[in-house]
Amino acid sequence: MTARTRRGLFSALAIIVALAWVFPVYWMVNSAFLPNIILQSFIPTFFPVKATLSNFTGALADGSFFSALGMSVAITLTVVVFCLLFAFLAAIAISRFRFRGRRSFVIAVLIVQMLPAEGLFIAQYKMVASVGLLDSVLGVSVIYIAAVVPFTIWMLRGFVAGIPADLEEAAMVDGLSRFGAFMRITFPLLAPGLVASGVYAFLQAWNEFTVALVLLPSEAAQTLPLWLRGFVQASATRETDWGQVMAASTLVAVPVIIFFLIVQGRLTSGLVAGAVKG
Amino acid sequence: MMKRKLGLVAAATAALVVLAGCSATPPADEGGKDITLWVMGGDTPDALRDYLKTEYASATGGTLTIEQQDWSDALSKLTTALPDPENTPDVVEIGNTWSPTFTSVGAFSDITDLVPELGGDKLLPSFVEIGKVDGANYALPYYFGSRYMFYRKDVWAAAGLEVPTTLSEFSAAAAKLKTDTQSGFYIGGEDWRNGISWIFANGGDLAKKDGDTWKSTLSDPKTIAGLEQLQALYADASLAPVTEADSTPWVNINNNAATGAPEAATIIAPGWAHWSIGDLAPDPKDDTKTIATWNDNVFGTFVLPGVDGGAAPVFAGGSNIAISAASKNQSASRELMKIIFSADYQKMLGQNGLGPANLDYADSLGDDQFAKALVASAADSKLTPAAPGWAAVEGSGLLEEFFGKVNGGGDIKALAAEYDTKIDALING
Amino acid sequence: MSTIAPRRGIRAPYVLIVPAVVILLAGMGYPLIWQFVTSMQEYGLAQQFGKPAPFVGFDNFVTLATDPVLWTVVARSLAFCVLTAAVTLAVGTLLALLMTVVTKTARLILQIALLLAWSMPVVAAMTVWIWLFDRRRGVVNYLLDMIPGVEMNRFDWLSTPLTFFAVASIIVIWMSVPFVAFSIYAGLTQVSDEVLEAAQLDGATGFQRFRHIIAPLIRPVIAIVLLLQLIWDLRVFTQITMLQDAGSKSGDYDLLGTYIYKLGTSSQDFGMASAVSILVLAITIALSWFYIRSLLKEDEA
Repeated sequence: MTARTRRGLFSALAIIVALAWVFPVYWMVNSAFLPNIILQSFIPTFFPVKATLSNFTGALADGSFFSALGMSVAITLTVVVFCLLFAFLAAIAISRFRFRGRRSFVIAVLIVQMLPAEGLFIAQYKMVASVGLLDSVLGVSVIYIAAVVPFTIWMLRGFVAGIPADLEEAAMVDGLSRFGAFMRITFPLLAPGLVASGVYAFLQAWNEFTVALVLLPSEAAQTLPLWLRGFVQASATRETDWGQVMAASTLVAVPVIIFFLIVQGRLTSGLVAGAVKG
Repeated sequence: MMKRKLGLVAAATAALVVLAGCSATPPADEGGKDITLWVMGGDTPDALRDYLKTEYASATGGTLTIEQQDWSDALSKLTTALPDPENTPDVVEIGNTWSPTFTSVGAFSDITDLVPELGGDKLLPSFVEIGKVDGANYALPYYFGSRYMFYRKDVWAAAGLEVPTTLSEFSAAAAKLKTDTQSGFYIGGEDWRNGISWIFANGGDLAKKDGDTWKSTLSDPKTIAGLEQLQALYADASLAPVTEADSTPWVNINNNAATGAPEAATIIAPGWAHWSIGDLAPDPKDDTKTIATWNDNVFGTFVLPGVDGGAAPVFAGGSNIAISAASKNQSASRELMKIIFSADYQKMLGQNGLGPANLDYADSLGDDQFAKALVASAADSKLTPAAPGWAAVEGSGLLEEFFGKVNGGGDIKALAAEYDTKIDALING
Repeated sequence: MSTIAPRRGIRAPYVLIVPAVVILLAGMGYPLIWQFVTSMQEYGLAQQFGKPAPFVGFDNFVTLATDPVLWTVVARSLAFCVLTAAVTLAVGTLLALLMTVVTKTARLILQIALLLAWSMPVVAAMTVWIWLFDRRRGVVNYLLDMIPGVEMNRFDWLSTPLTFFAVASIIVIWMSVPFVAFSIYAGLTQVSDEVLEAAQLDGATGFQRFRHIIAPLIRPVIAIVLLLQLIWDLRVFTQITMLQDAGSKSGDYDLLGTYIYKLGTSSQDFGMASAVSILVLAITIALSWFYIRSLLKEDEA
């Protein structure tokens, strides 16, 4: 088997896996465009034949989508930016320096993320309410950052550790400052790690539900997952409108997809790696 | 380093002291006029919400904010917000079965003095009772619903059957109507909210108060008799999964689009389900949706019959309403209660198919067969035990588990003894 | 691993970790202390409404330890977690390696598919999956039923614990693989082509290259990803709750996450729920102890 045919076979396999993986996403979008009359049938409809936008107009009707979108974007950006910054600094500290207390810090960071979150909401509420930050971006963000930062530190530590410090030393010998060496050599190599951790922080903040439920009690402050949940809940006098649920889900997913398409070049293309290797 | 650590400990301790200070203390009525009402789910229609806001503004000059909470998330929000004077809603709707739990821990204000003005003994007694502690009123009825039977007249007629007048007649008919593709009576194995009707009908109860403590009474012979009847009925008449609980049974009584036949000859459902039952056709206003049009030739209703005829007691659904004890706006909240219990608002509830708290206005429900079935079934309806730990029992999933195992064909006596012990551990709070 | 030896600027690392420490203390400090304190109290709804909480020492833990239900849930959760995490890691690694040997277009298609799956909101993803496995309208039964001789119409996946957890596992794997695949792929891009080429010239086979060059380099990433999968899968919550809403709320379908939730929020026994949380913490530490130790050792080396 030549290298070429082998590459072709692997590529075909990759595409089959891709199709299987994306099917539930396709199913969501397909259902979002299907009229309810078809969704209620027992025989699945695989293509949006009688496509309609009515599910989307229904989901957007009361305008609450946009306020929830604003809230979600604000929280998510805050979390991603501060989480990456804090974690990046800490990752440098633990992988580039030896210092007293380092071991305790490393262990603490590991253990903090092992605590199940399901029992914490009362304490989180008391804490945030006592400083008057219920219904605020800041209150939820602090909890989210604290929840995501340990993981991000670990993730980035792995990437920093993968970059030989000799590279920096060599650059310093070449006359660059410590900071300069870091920015020119280490930072670009870290980019895929930063993007991967950033994506993770983004998704956690974007999708989180239980903490938001308790810390953002008023309707005006709800985030997209809370908004979406409102569609899933059937009330005593109204049935769940599944077409609308799927349309609402699609709307919640779209900003993430846009974000991903923006970073995917960074995350996946050879640009970053190539710049270093070449 | 040591100093640093000490500093951290000190800071953490200071934070704790501050936080501890925010625990519930009885607030003074600060006489605010702007209040918040929490309603559960979408059951209160928009027109009624607007009415409350307008009336409240003209009565007090303040602003009423209404926020809707989802049923399944409400417990965690009530648990955190109600004790917190800074963030508590002033008036809250709660599920009727949760009333004892929250009332007994002091979540609500004593409004005994207000009761005569709000309707006194005209208010639905079982709901008033469940919101009482030591003779004082804390939570009052908001609206009620009830469950009755929907059946396919065509299917029943084809089998030569008539509306049953006793519970055993019903079981026999339902068993006869079962085929490989059709349930004679569709009920999920874990559906305890409907299943308890068979316990009630046989004079049994889920729990009884013995002196100061509540005891689960699944092993009571009357309860066992009801469970045996239910077990047989499920085995002989229902094709529903044993893991199914209270769900959307009307999809089974309407014609299935694929086969043109219904999957169930009979269902039990809350009264409002009639909006979803009928001949299916595309909605003329929006052809992407199907609407069901009730057809008296095909569909009918009856009240679940009792063991010796009459009506069997069914589980009364609905809500209570109360003023948060932590609210700083007690007098304004009482004003809102007066509006909710006013004749106009009570009638509006009835016109929207919700059983009004004040039974004097029950005729506002109308006089069609649904209103009649609602009133008839509600008259004999029963509630779950008014035990402080009842919300915990419901939340634990033990009842779903128990009914599922019973309907799965388990040994009723052994299961009843086992779950009596489990429920006893929770029921007294 | 190379680090910069302690020198005059010993203050630098402390400055670097200050923001992380501060945010951890601010966001987690009080909840953590509360959890520990509450686990040794009798704390129910009455305490939440201001009644003093009696200190009961280790009573909650004793009650737990003697409750056979808890140990069943623990065993079930461990089995679920280990199996799911192992499959997730294996599939994720294979997909990451696959990305390195395919054409650019194929790689992009695979990456976008994984990104799309990853970007799906959990609530939405669960709704779709529950549909797919629905006994009447589900695509899964519809397709399986088309295979001659297979009678799957109306097969209720959520009605027995084994099929219930199989479905749960498939969904969790589907959701977690993209993260694993991308993290490992990101690690792989750090491996220098020159080294690989040199190894190839020296006659190393593909497997040898993986084992001796690639694997050691991406080991930190694999280690942390596996650890995280174990932690997450042990306390998986949203997916199980939503499956329970569609299937059964019975305790036979509980994992630790839903068990804690039922004990705390639903049954309002927060003292007991806190005790279980602490227990889960202990189990997780025990489960990952070997890992933490090797990570630390590698770190010190």
